[in-house]
Amino acid sequence: MAVRSGGFVGKVLRVDLSTGKIGTEDTLERYGALLGGAGIGYRVLWDEVPAGTGPFDPANKLVFAAGVLVGTSVPCNGRTTITTIFPTCWPRPLVGSGHMGGHFAAKLKYAGYDALIVEGKAERPVWLMIRDAHVEIRDAGHLWGTGIRRTTLELSQEMGPDCVVAAIGQAGENQAPMGMVVNSVSHSAGGVGGVMGGKNLKAVAVQGSGAVRIAGDKGAWEALVKFHLSLLGGNNQHVVPSFPTPQAEYYNPASRWIGQPGKRWGAAKPPVEITGALRDPNRIAYRTNSAAYFLGDEAWKYTVRGNGCTACPIRCHTMLKVPSVTTKYGIPDTAQNTCVALMFGRSFFTQLAGKKNSETAIEACMVGMHLADDVGLWSNYGQLQRDLRKLYEGGYLKARLGSKEYASIPWDKYDNADPAFLLDLIPRIANRQGELGEVLSRGTGAIFDHWSIPETEWAKDHTTTYWKMGHPKHHANEDDGQCGVIINTQYNRDAQCHSHTNFVRNGLPLAVQKKLAAAIWGSPDALDAPGDYTPANVHKARRAKWSLLRKELHDALGVCNWMGPWAASPLQERGYAGDDSLESKFLSLATGQTVDREGLDRAAERIFTLHRALTIRDMGQVNMRAEHDLVPPWIFEDQNGAAPFTKGSIRMDPADIARAMDFYYEVMGWDKDTGAPGKARYAELGLADVGDTLAAAKLTPETGK
Amino acid sequence: MSEADEDDLARAALETVREASAAMCLIAADEILERLLAKGFAERLQTTPEADPCLRLAAVLSGLPGIASFESLSGRTVYHDPALLSRTYARILDHKDAPELLLAAEIRSNSRDYTRPLPVELFEKTPFDLAPETIEAALKALSCGQEFQDITSLTTAAGAVYLFSTRYLKRGYAVFLAEQDASLTMNP
Amino acid sequence: MHTIRGLSSKWIEQAAKASGFEAELSRRGFLKLSVCALSGLAMLGLGDAFGENAPLVILDNATGCILADPTRCVGCQRCELACTEFNDGRAQPSLARIKISRALNFGLAGPTGGVGMHGDWGDGLVVQSVCRQCPHPVPCATACPQDAIISDPKTGARVVDAALCVGCRLCQQACPWGMLSFDEKAGVATKCFLCHGSPKCVEACPAAALRYVPWRDLTRDGSPNRATLSVTAPEKAKACLDCHLPAGTKSAK
Repeated sequence: MAVRSGGFVGKVLRVDLSTGKIGTEDTLERYGALLGGAGIGYRVLWDEVPAGTGPFDPANKLVFAAGVLVGTSVPCNGRTTITTIFPTCWPRPLVGSGHMGGHFAAKLKYAGYDALIVEGKAERPVWLMIRDAHVEIRDAGHLWGTGIRRTTLELSQEMGPDCVVAAIGQAGENQAPMGMVVNSVSHSAGGVGGVMGGKNLKAVAVQGSGAVRIAGDKGAWEALVKFHLSLLGGNNQHVVPSFPTPQAEYYNPASRWIGQPGKRWGAAKPPVEITGALRDPNRIAYRTNSAAYFLGDEAWKYTVRGNGCTACPIRCHTMLKVPSVTTKYGIPDTAQNTCVALMFGRSFFTQLAGKKNSETAIEACMVGMHLADDVGLWSNYGQLQRDLRKLYEGGYLKARLGSKEYASIPWDKYDNADPAFLLDLIPRIANRQGELGEVLSRGTGAIFDHWSIPETEWAKDHTTTYWKMGHPKHHANEDDGQCGVIINTQYNRDAQCHSHTNFVRNGLPLAVQKKLAAAIWGSPDALDAPGDYTPANVHKARRAKWSLLRKELHDALGVCNWMGPWAASPLQERGYAGDDSLESKFLSLATGQTVDREGLDRAAERIFTLHRALTIRDMGQVNMRAEHDLVPPWIFEDQNGAAPFTKGSIRMDPADIARAMDFYYEVMGWDKDTGAPGKARYAELGLADVGDTLAAAKLTPETGK
Repeated sequence: MSEADEDDLARAALETVREASAAMCLIAADEILERLLAKGFAERLQTTPEADPCLRLAAVLSGLPGIASFESLSGRTVYHDPALLSRTYARILDHKDAPELLLAAEIRSNSRDYTRPLPVELFEKTPFDLAPETIEAALKALSCGQEFQDITSLTTAAGAVYLFSTRYLKRGYAVFLAEQDASLTMNP
Repeated sequence: MHTIRGLSSKWIEQAAKASGFEAELSRRGFLKLSVCALSGLAMLGLGDAFGENAPLVILDNATGCILADPTRCVGCQRCELACTEFNDGRAQPSLARIKISRALNFGLAGPTGGVGMHGDWGDGLVVQSVCRQCPHPVPCATACPQDAIISDPKTGARVVDAALCVGCRLCQQACPWGMLSFDEKAGVATKCFLCHGSPKCVEACPAAALRYVPWRDLTRDGSPNRATLSVTAPEKAKACLDCHLPAGTKSAK
């Protein structure tokens, strides 16, 4: 090639563990239209993994894909998307992705690869060494049975200090569907650890010394990066601080922008007092403290610093040092994580879940982080913890577990909310020990299968927050009415979409949000206040579509959908508008090939539609509306019996949700009866071959009726 | 006074307000006048003996771009630059010594604008920094005041207390919003 | 102002002009004259001294340096990326003139460093590596057989003149702190040049962990973290002896 593109580094690495064959292919030639991330993953699965392939079959493939903007200083990049036949998807595994931050994605790019495709199955445990162009499959016999921390240390000793290791622990080795892969201490991708284990792949370790080229003018690039930084808020793009400040007109006590003068990283040596104006770009890292947000202000004194992904100034993985846990539980005193994984330990206990400023809750979180991120056990967005609570409190375990096994579990510790209980429980799950360990290691679907408990017992119970297909809701009607419901119907796991909730929770007054909504989605009615819902309309459907496409786009660019999109900003002078074309501006400058917002959204739609096609193909079912895009009964109920659209209720109305889906299928250009794209729609999006294949299999609306 | 003189005066007045805002202070016309006189603007402000320089200054201030003013609790008109000292923060500063009014104003504006009830602990934190006893006393005083009958509280199922104004929020909705707020950390 | 042992740069400039070295001085921004030669010039006259003495690189101290506070570092590498993206148009931590990646995981002791390890996998401390803009003798400049490491006229930063660099990597070997980078694409060494007085890395840090401050001798802090191979060209080494005399002797000549 005469002119190398920027952004993309050019090659996709392919490793066949069955044959030991290692090769590369040209990224742009084969995957250019799908950018990166899940786009590459879906294409590989479509082309190469036949319908009916099981997650642990050697024929399943694992696609670790960075994104086009990964490795650059675009704020909040650093994401890896790992696409595969997803093992916790119930009752039948379907396409899904696990996502992780950390430093793996950037290293993969610096090594010269936009993605890594792992196929086949090694005869014995191996790890994959990637040092720029030098790629080797090495024996991992000595590492099998060890945790992620030890594995990382020993592989770093072999490769050198600057490698990034993405490894599985015991859960993944045991092919637990709930296994996860972890890199950079705390950055994990759920559901894919067991698939790695199934391939006898203990770890992938990467060293990269190369570059991601910025094709456009470097001055313009620098200006755009600085502009983007000016639009950032705190974690989840909450654009107003949680407290009044002289510079801000608005505040919101629920904002994740909680850092302020007077707070300090108490466990730094010496402590770091937060001073100065947090609007200053050199203070962005002090805005967010996930530990203090989730665990309460008491966590400030344990805070060492913020940590996080390559190039992200937000630092949502708060590092804590809690000396007491070493003597009490025999674990290291330092741990880090964010959100659900930060609360992993606490959430098992009814008494501690959601409890702030409790020393025991903080200790439980320390124990949980230490164990989960070492054995590589996923929480399925907290469903694991809610499942255990329901199973225990609902008497299911007492009734179903053998008495010997039941007696072997230290329930007294559980009843007393003693974090030491986790020292027994978590290894039990990772090792798939006994019935309880086995069932929980497989995810929520196994509860229904193994113990013949009807799914409706979960789906009817709002407290489980169970949605469908073995997975919980992820920002649904409680946050965003019909928009949230639509989004939660679309995936084969929890939705993992934050485009909508980041906007709803951004902390601006409703009037300002509605003004911004009108500018982006065509009407202020695209958005309601939470719990003050109005009937479905096309603008909400448009916002749902936008949310889904931006989520796919962010995965394809390697940008964080927990921070983006940047629809709002803290800037009063901009009327609090962010910039809805940031992604296309960055991509244009990085690659040197101009693409506008609409063009890029179209690429995102191509990727998302490919996910739809894979789901249709692998379900062997065109009627997505009836068979896939489902909602749990609890969304149509209200604990106080309030009617739908009552102020103060999140109860949805079945007929209204049906209308919302109509609007949604319409804006997607899909058939309303089946919720499936037709041949023409595939063709319009550059997926004619996909449409043809599905039509031939009678899996398009025109052929499937 | 020449146009150039007029411009100079306006610029100096603007600068004085901004300096005060940057130092997190609200400033009244007489204080601005004092500072301007110290800067040597006496002549330009006293063009005719009978004109009140304060009135003259008020006219200048009202024409300043981007400067906001409001009547403070003391009854004086105070000025600030919202870019350096937001309206919200200015209101809080003005109410600093009157906890009841401070609480009432914050509770009402939050119920009206966002809309939401406020967790009572908010007022223990910066920049309010009120002692729990002070908050309790202020709320008690509010409950006795005729003009504050709209200020009320609710308690979530988990025991957290939230404050809201019934003028803008109905109790049922306030309860919903409070329960939702209190459960946000379990819904990340 | 360049000052060597009491000789003002003005005086040196005059001397150089008189001897035909003016072009070297103004173009390269540093002195290619030995101190002793200059002393000799003062006493003996201009002519002989220049002919006899080989050039010795002596650079004035820089005016500024970057200070890094590890207790504030959040390990985001935005400094490394700002360094290479905004200066070179590519994101490449291995090229960065401020170095975070190598200490991010385990600290500078590396994964074999045992219990004292820093970094994300150790005690959490990320110790940034910055160029100290060394005082004389500047290891990288002294080691350069091309005299391609010169002083930036604005900041006094030791910078690689890419036009002169031949890519022999001796400077990389000489730096006790491993702060020289090598641009594989261009085939030349590169190092921190303080971005001509407004360092991009300092501007990019989201945690205010970097500061650009008046220069001080940071080479006295801590100890070098790697073995060096400081190769000095024979003519330069000989010139060193002009100043570095055996105790008690007054002059080599």
